[in-house]
Amino acid sequence: MDKIIGANETEQIRRNYETLSGTELMKRNLYRPWPARITSITELTATEKLFELRLIDPEVREAFTHTAGQFVELSIFGVGEAPISISSAPSKQGFIELCVRSAGSVTGVLHDKQCGDIVGLRGPFGRGFPFEEMKGHDILLVAGGLGIAPLKSLINHIHDERHAFGNVTILYGSKNPSEVMFRSQFEMWQHRKDFNLILTVDNTEDQPWDGEVGVVTKLFNRIDIDPNNTYAAIVGPPVMYKFVIAEMRKKGLHFDRIYVSFERAMKCGIGKCGHCMVGHQYVCVDGPVFNYWEAANIQGAM
Amino acid sequence: MLFRVIDKNEIEALVRGFATSYEVVGPVKRGESYVFDEIGCDPSRLCVDYTTTLLPPKKYLLPPREVLFKFSTAQNSVQDFEQEIVPRVLFGLHACDINAINRLDKVYIDDEYDDPYYHKIRENTLIVGISCMPSEHCFCNVWGTDEVTQGYDLFLHDIGDRYLVSILSVRAAEVLTISTSAREASVQDSVDFQTRNAKFRSAFPSANNISELPMLMDAFYNDALWEELGERCLSCAACSVVCPTCHCFNIKDILSPNGEEGTRVRVWDSCCSPDFAAVAHGHNFRATAASRVRNRFYHKFLGYPSKHGDVLCTGCGRCEVACKATINPRVVIDGLQQDAIAQRNSAIDKGVARG
Ligand SMILES: Cc1cc2nc3c(=O)[nH]c(=O)nc-3n(C[C@H](O)[C@H](O)[C@H](O)COP(=O)(O)OP(=O)(O)OC[C@H]3O[C@@H](n4cnc5c(N)ncnc54)[C@H](O)[C@@H]3O)c2cc1C
Ligand code: SF4
Ligand code: SF4
Ligand code: FES
Repeated sequence: MDKIIGANETEQIRRNYETLSGTELMKRNLYRPWPARITSITELTATEKLFELRLIDPEVREAFTHTAGQFVELSIFGVGEAPISISSAPSKQGFIELCVRSAGSVTGVLHDKQCGDIVGLRGPFGRGFPFEEMKGHDILLVAGGLGIAPLKSLINHIHDERHAFGNVTILYGSKNPSEVMFRSQFEMWQHRKDFNLILTVDNTEDQPWDGEVGVVTKLFNRIDIDPNNTYAAIVGPPVMYKFVIAEMRKKGLHFDRIYVSFERAMKCGIGKCGHCMVGHQYVCVDGPVFNYWEAANIQGAM
Repeated sequence: MLFRVIDKNEIEALVRGFATSYEVVGPVKRGESYVFDEIGCDPSRLCVDYTTTLLPPKKYLLPPREVLFKFSTAQNSVQDFEQEIVPRVLFGLHACDINAINRLDKVYIDDEYDDPYYHKIRENTLIVGISCMPSEHCFCNVWGTDEVTQGYDLFLHDIGDRYLVSILSVRAAEVLTISTSAREASVQDSVDFQTRNAKFRSAFPSANNISELPMLMDAFYNDALWEELGERCLSCAACSVVCPTCHCFNIKDILSPNGEEGTRVRVWDSCCSPDFAAVAHGHNFRATAASRVRNRFYHKFLGYPSKHGDVLCTGCGRCEVACKATINPRVVIDGLQQDAIAQRNSAIDKGVARG
């Protein structure tokens, strides 16, 4: 009688297959979460926290490599899973950062966790931003709200290899000043002139604020873009895409150099369960990052 | 491909031959209809002349509820878990249902994103097909899924008092040779085979031309047909349950009573269920029945084919029987084709298109 061994605990697999590498171990069963310890928690806003995680199994940890824009499935055993973008840069070896909003059951329980607690991770999944292709060009990044989470991975990665890029402009819109994330880091970068960063809020709600006020599209008249040498990426709430893309097209950016990232319901993350289906694509494996030409041709996506 | 001939009455010996090392599942009569069930070592329960079963054989490859692993909440870890796989032969599948399994294989058996559960079960499953005659609900000829050329181990073609057996696997060939007196096909066998095939083909009503279907799915994405179907749809998911190619699932954690351990299971799901595309904060990407019905057919006729080449429907007709709201592939195809003709005629009337 045959058995599915892919579901087994590490030790058992190791005993039977001593020669498996970390990559092979993970690939044996993509549904199997690997234990990861929370090594640090930073409160970003009233509803968002940044979690730094470390995979416990050394071989799995070493084999875990991602590209900006990819996501993991985060497990709280007994509650379920949630797809979460990786916020840290690929170069941050050994640690994985997730910026998580408390939005329901899984993310809610995660928010109650302490440093040292263990959660499950599987991934990374999906297609990220075309980092190599973007090199040598100017970069325009537009984030709305929590969209900064996946973009943060790209921003960090660009920062790591800053010399490989031309001008880098980041437009980041939030609802109000208290929802702005990673502010001190951004300000440091801006101070060092690494990036041209423009922050805006929809409404100051009487909080102290020295940035712009208004929706993110308003910032487009303040920036200069060389349309033939620019790659752009947008991540934010669905309503934002249409308007931001319209501004980018007005500036003359190419269809296939504007990248967007989609959020859909997800269960498996590996193109099997059907939940993330949009038009003829599966967001989990064909995306979540699509260029605008692809996205515009997915029925019901934009 | 290899052909042998056996006498019809040897089929019981063949079943017994498989039963020594496999669990045998086949069509049996239940009430007025047929279901796939384990037949044990009793070949007489097998109804080889059955018409399409109510439920497809997919439950043997993708169980309605399947444990992915056990976990401990106390230790926050995945626990040792081994799933026993029963070596099984699915005996007496029609061409459409084998074509359906071939389509599931393309999703679940994959170099990059393999599904170890499905893969292991599939590897331990043999398939013995059997020829059939169409019922009023069959429209496999529309898609060309009335014939199957791969995915089975044996296929029994009815040629009067004999079966012409097409053999694709060594494992099955061995059972065939040991348990029957399989012989080389004669000229007569081959002539009877051709005659029987001609009879089979002429038993179908003429098929719609579906070469424009992908274009229609796209161009008529906002057609009133979808609203019409959406108003009728009960969101009961019966269509997905009876469909041999529908394969969506949900993943859930089930806790033990003391809350210290549990199992992560996957259970069948349907894109026609209201919450299928719902995310946190109460947002639902397909909140209306119309958008869900459209998504189901869009995936079958355009999404899946864009990745795997084939249409994700075999024309088995099960959903025609199961859907209380008369929503099914033929209704969709006819509806879109009629709307396309109406559109063309009106364009000609307005002088913007030539006839
Ligand atoms: C690619 C991707 C990247 C993401 N990145 C991030 C990120 O970096 N940070 C972040 O904070 N969030 C991110 N999200 C969103 C995050 O996945 C959701 O907020 C999270 O799944 C919520 O899970 P929950 O269990 O906490 O919430 P819950 O609301 O308890 O559960 C949400 C799940 O339940 C289901 N559901 C929702 N409503 C209903 C209903 N009414 N009936 C039945 N089922 C329902 C949905 O299928 C959904 O998957 C991302 C999502 C995707 C797809
Ligand atoms: S199409 Fe028919 S069977 Fe499917 S959910 Fe709607 S009413 Fe139910
Ligand atoms: S859609 Fe209907 S006819 Fe087509 S395979 Fe599924 S159940 Fe059969
Ligand atoms: S999340 Fe399961 S198919 Fe994409």
